[in-house]
Amino acid sequence: MIRRVVVTGLGAVSSLGNDLRTTWDGLVAGRSGIGLITLFDASAFRTKLAAEIKSLPDPGVPAPIRRRLSRTDVIGLAAAAEALADAGLDLSRENPERIGVVLGAGVSGLLDSERYFRTLLAEGPRAARPTLVLNHPPDQTTDRIAERWGLLGPRSTITTACSSSATSLGYAADLIRSGLCDVVVTGGADTLARLTHGGFNALRATDPDPCRPFDRGRKGMTVGEAAGILIFEEEERARRRRARIRGRFLGYGVTSDAHHMTQPEPTGEAGARTIRACLDDAGLNPGDVDYVNAHATATPQNDAAETAALKRALGARAKEIPVSAIKSMLGHCLCSAGAIEAVATVLTVETGVVPPTIRYENPDPDCDLDVVPNVARKARVRTALSSSFAFGGNSTVIAFGAV
Amino acid sequence: MRSAVITGVSAVTALGRDLEATRAALAAGKSAIAPVEGLDVPAGRPDHSPAARIGTFTTEPELPRSKARRLDRSSQYAVVAARQALASARYSMTGREERTGILLGTGSAGATPLVDFERQMALEGPESASPFLFPYTVSNAPASVVAIELQIRGPNVTITQKDPAAQNALLYARLLLEGRRADAILVGAADEWNLDYHLAYERIHATRTPNRPGFVLGEGAAFLLVEDEESARARGARVLARVASVVMRPAAVSPQLRQARPRRLEEAMRAALDEAGVPPSTVGLVHLSKNGVTETDAAEAFALSRLFSPMPRTAAVKDALGENPAIGAVQLALAADQLLRAPETGAVLVNAFGAGGNVLCAVLTEP
Repeated sequence: MIRRVVVTGLGAVSSLGNDLRTTWDGLVAGRSGIGLITLFDASAFRTKLAAEIKSLPDPGVPAPIRRRLSRTDVIGLAAAAEALADAGLDLSRENPERIGVVLGAGVSGLLDSERYFRTLLAEGPRAARPTLVLNHPPDQTTDRIAERWGLLGPRSTITTACSSSATSLGYAADLIRSGLCDVVVTGGADTLARLTHGGFNALRATDPDPCRPFDRGRKGMTVGEAAGILIFEEEERARRRRARIRGRFLGYGVTSDAHHMTQPEPTGEAGARTIRACLDDAGLNPGDVDYVNAHATATPQNDAAETAALKRALGARAKEIPVSAIKSMLGHCLCSAGAIEAVATVLTVETGVVPPTIRYENPDPDCDLDVVPNVARKARVRTALSSSFAFGGNSTVIAFGAV
Repeated sequence: MRSAVITGVSAVTALGRDLEATRAALAAGKSAIAPVEGLDVPAGRPDHSPAARIGTFTTEPELPRSKARRLDRSSQYAVVAARQALASARYSMTGREERTGILLGTGSAGATPLVDFERQMALEGPESASPFLFPYTVSNAPASVVAIELQIRGPNVTITQKDPAAQNALLYARLLLEGRRADAILVGAADEWNLDYHLAYERIHATRTPNRPGFVLGEGAAFLLVEDEESARARGARVLARVASVVMRPAAVSPQLRQARPRRLEEAMRAALDEAGVPPSTVGLVHLSKNGVTETDAAEAFALSRLFSPMPRTAAVKDALGENPAIGAVQLALAADQLLRAPETGAVLVNAFGAGGNVLCAVLTEP
């Protein structure tokens, strides 16, 4: 029997709001979550903007545990709680051995480690509190979620920079398809830190103004932070328990550009291979694709290479289907970008509403796609792709379908 | 399931820059664990944790020094180990680029460039930090450097997990082979030792000191070339061992907690042997998770005593190389190598029990 994967629950924490509803409403309304950085002193950076989460949600754990959590743990736990509730799973009646946790993560507790290192440099080892580095491993949030709900199935954390959480959805789906799990809590959580903001800044990959994906005047990305959690479930089981099925996970492609550590492969051939691998895995033809939630970081190179990749893989149809860049509103959420964008893609498939690419003014001949400029749109979306192309050439494309 | 076999192995460790040297040093009873001292180490440490460090390292002949210079330590170890594994497997990449993948486990690859980048931002100002350093602060750098260097165009995934990341990578590799996403995957781990993190862990009393039991931080890299059996046979590859099972049975505990219930460990080992179709009596060697943490070492010993009678031969590699996801990959490589040298070993059980209740067991069998 072929085991198929469906999405039965969603949760989100983002710069647009601390739950799924406000995040989605914000995306549909074309609202921007981008503003001045408050988490650390960014005054000396060329770029002073980011898409910050405005106030932390309640992670739903007792105070002694709360004190030990990183910012990433807090938003990961809150989004997981929302997703599990949305799925209507009664965990007291489930076999915890069959529920896995697979997340994309990277920054984890780095913001705290930065406090340790900065105090160490400024005031010496006695003043610096070494327990601040304990939350640094990227798999902390995965373990925290498993601990919080007593989940005993396979557990993993993918750290492939900006494609981390898209790949985590692939691993999660494989765990269900292979029969190792019935349910997987998947997606990702990632937060801002000086290192990531400063790193992209040093590479001149950030825009001093809010980012403008696909626009001819785009200068780079705006970093963001978010948690996006999806509950993946084996379809028969979900139907038996009469769960509300929000969408299907149809498949994924994961490949390596083998080109450059920080530059995308410019002809789009590498990206096209990832898209084709995804279509193959999902059993789709290029003509089946109704919508693409693009990676679209707003760097000059990425958006042009991605456009080329879409045209190579989907042919002339690439110009006809809506392709939107929600990083224009949420910023580039790095290791959780694939997760929050997957959440939005599922909602597009479910509701037939395509969120826009905001701040779009000047068409770029190198990005000649229907980018859904500035205003959301109704569309019939039976099948949608979401792409993630990371530094290091780690590329992942995932496909969702309507029920 | 598609049958997965191991056709090449490698290891870059503190006891040798290849698997053969590492194996010989371990057989001779050598240990790489030594005090952490030197000009860059601050004076007046109240506790002194040792470490198993590689020290001076050259990437040649596998990678010219000019190319290695800009790479972080984990990436250097990874490239050398990856080239050694492919050589051991007599695997030619030409024409197989898109059917070859890499799956790398790590705990904290990129730690040193990360701390250096932070230091530059803090001391010289945010705009003075080196853009060349940044890509190597992210844990996916080693696998991506290997992919670029060897032209691997199939799946390229990095998994972080505090200790058993290599075993986790092996679990996912089997799923990727099953999904026909690749025919051959370099599966392993790479990680580096970092002074700043060492000192922080030492101060938290997480690591071993002369007066306190605990684990010792290690570093290195190791790979297995894991191939779909049919395509390995088709290219006439020598098969060292078969990946008979990989099982994950985590506990739900606090992420930093190094604690294991013997019954859970026994369940995991039993499940791995069951899935492999291997009765306990045919296990000729167990690579222990044992790393110096009193509670988990005792739990593992007790679980083994319940599972095996008589007890098979055991190897405690972390006693000599320290704890690190890379050492888990070294254990897998040694296990495959053992099955090639002495097929009568039958089956090797490799345990990896990490902080946060992450429990993985793998069984390799003679081909």
